[in-house]
Amino acid sequence: MISSVREYFNTGKRSLYLFIIPITLYLIFFFLYPVLYEIYISFFDYSLGSPKTFVGLQNYVLMARDEQFLHSLITTVIFVVSAVSAELALGLGTALLLNYESRIMDIIRTVILIPTVFTPLVAGLVWKALYNPDLGVISYYLRLLGIPIGRGLTVERSTALFSVILVDIWEWTPLIVIIILAGLKSLPKEPYEAGAIDGASSSQLFRYVTLPLLRPTIIVAVLIRAMDALKIFDIIWAITGGGPGTATTVANLRIFQVGVQQLRIGYASTLSNVLLVMSVLVGVFFIHVLYSKKYGGIR
Amino acid sequence: MHIWRKIIVVIAVSILATSGIALLGSAQEKPYEGVVLHLASMADQYADYLKVLGKKFEEVSGARVEVDILGYTELYQKITQDYATHTKQYDLATVDIVWTGEFAEKGWTVDLTPLILRDYDELDVPDILPVMWAEGSWDGKQIAFPMAGYANSLIYRKDLFNDPEEQANFKAKYGYDLRPPRTMKELADIATFFTRPKENMYGLVANGARGPAVAQDWMEYMRAFGGQIIDENGKVVVDSPECLAALKFFVDIFDKWAPPGAIGYWWDDRETSYRTGQSVMESSWSIARAGYEDPSISRVVGKTGMAMTPSAPAVKPQFGFGGWGIGINADISPERQAAAWAFIKWITSPEIQKEWMLHDGAPIRLSTLLDPELNQKMPWLRTMLKLFIDGNGDYRPRVPEYSRIQDILGLRINQAITHELTPEEALSKAAEEIKAIYGQ
Repeated sequence: MISSVREYFNTGKRSLYLFIIPITLYLIFFFLYPVLYEIYISFFDYSLGSPKTFVGLQNYVLMARDEQFLHSLITTVIFVVSAVSAELALGLGTALLLNYESRIMDIIRTVILIPTVFTPLVAGLVWKALYNPDLGVISYYLRLLGIPIGRGLTVERSTALFSVILVDIWEWTPLIVIIILAGLKSLPKEPYEAGAIDGASSSQLFRYVTLPLLRPTIIVAVLIRAMDALKIFDIIWAITGGGPGTATTVANLRIFQVGVQQLRIGYASTLSNVLLVMSVLVGVFFIHVLYSKKYGGIR
Repeated sequence: MHIWRKIIVVIAVSILATSGIALLGSAQEKPYEGVVLHLASMADQYADYLKVLGKKFEEVSGARVEVDILGYTELYQKITQDYATHTKQYDLATVDIVWTGEFAEKGWTVDLTPLILRDYDELDVPDILPVMWAEGSWDGKQIAFPMAGYANSLIYRKDLFNDPEEQANFKAKYGYDLRPPRTMKELADIATFFTRPKENMYGLVANGARGPAVAQDWMEYMRAFGGQIIDENGKVVVDSPECLAALKFFVDIFDKWAPPGAIGYWWDDRETSYRTGQSVMESSWSIARAGYEDPSISRVVGKTGMAMTPSAPAVKPQFGFGGWGIGINADISPERQAAAWAFIKWITSPEIQKEWMLHDGAPIRLSTLLDPELNQKMPWLRTMLKLFIDGNGDYRPRVPEYSRIQDILGLRINQAITHELTPEEALSKAAEEIKAIYGQ
């Protein structure tokens, strides 16, 4: 019996199926099923503990009119675009600075990773204390420098979003640094030698050699960060709780309020689906850029 | 031989009988041996000693009570999820007075009425102040037992109010004597008088953080102005002129009198601001009172006065009543429910209430408030008793929809104090949204 099973799988490509069974099962139970179920219950009026009532597209109609959610989507986009672009610029710069082999560089490369190993919630609480308008170090020095901070950076509408973006940049820039450093380390030496022979300046080498060669690495780094930033929750939850008003209420926070605090699971699923579609679109876009020849991609 | 056999039998039987009685006796002494109950408690001042009581209960009953201390929003989330999904994580939970309607309507916690009637004498029910029953009473049910009663009062710096120089300056400026304010106008005057940012001193502080903190503190002022969220006929009246006046006053607190950071304060931040001497007045819950006299956390030891909260001219003075009841998860087995009820009876008994009061507890009993030893240590208990007698536990509506109402107010009031919306816009939006819940 066993030998016949073995024979069956040993022929041709059949053994390949055997290898993908575990991951397929994993994906079905932990990814496909939850997603399908989420889509399914988004058509129901369903509060945790109460029976489900089918309402068709009513949740989606409600969402289209839900000012707070639409506003949270805009806030999310502002958050993702500003945080990720700042992280990329700073990360690329820092990686280039650190791309030399020496003992000190080894130490620096390790030290700059510290923010990344912080649990975001803890990072948020620490920064909340630093920002504290009455007792915080940041507020103290800004006031000392004569910079007006109003009633506090995290509680004024004009600066609240900026102050949480700053924490995200602090926490995740090192990740981009590490990814790009890894990319830089794996670049071939020949193009640089050829460039040097042709008399290219260092800025020209960067513009025409380094950047194009790094493109796939940068795209992967941005993709990882963008997907992650779309799901931002913990830092904001710890620092502002979504306030003042709705200034820092990103989509995930709104979904949390509706689903976990108000237990309106049906409607929260509807909102989650929107975020899911957004994440997928961002992913598809970057992967398209990564593989597309038109943009100098890797294929 | 025959007689010996008889004697042996008699001895054996009597040994068995006495050991049986002894066993029975020990079973009665510790009827819940080996039971472990889980209690989710609000992280208020009383919680640390509740943990101690949870352990001590084992000595009396055999059952151990493990206490998890959680923040306000986390507590609500954890227990409501537990109840809604019937996971029986917690046998007992502290229940905020404002959750009463929701918990009762959904049948999440056990209706204690039959047990209270059964154990009426043992509980000494008449000793529990009438206002306390608001913690858990809904539609003829008692879904939580009163555990910690809080009175809302005006907390002020007695030393500054009694300072002759301050008094003279105040009289020169406003034409009347400096004393604890009785009207909102006087409250505003005194707050203005004591606001001196250069000295890091602020006249009046309140919670501004979005969510329950700002919503609940605003409702306290709403009550002082005679406003309501839902009137006697069930109509949503949160956009009434009284509520608007209250919101305008509330916005003024943050614009004129509170420390800059107050706009992001939760309860503990507000208390810290008062205890560090930064703020001169606050409307606060009596549970925080003992902390002002604790030198390890307070810089205002011996300097605090407690007065009735002021109110608008036409409003009959009433005082905010709040606090915590303790409820039993309706999903757990009758045996566990019995152990949980025994624990409730024990921690709310006069002896344990007194012991707890000495460790940051909050009273529910007349005998506790009148206890000579406690009064000597805590002279403010008399004022608390007066506040409890005229206490109103319903100014924050204890309706099943409370959480959603609080969610709406938590955003809209915060938008008003941060000037994202005018007070009129904030209340009209809030009214529209609360009406939508009721289909009005």
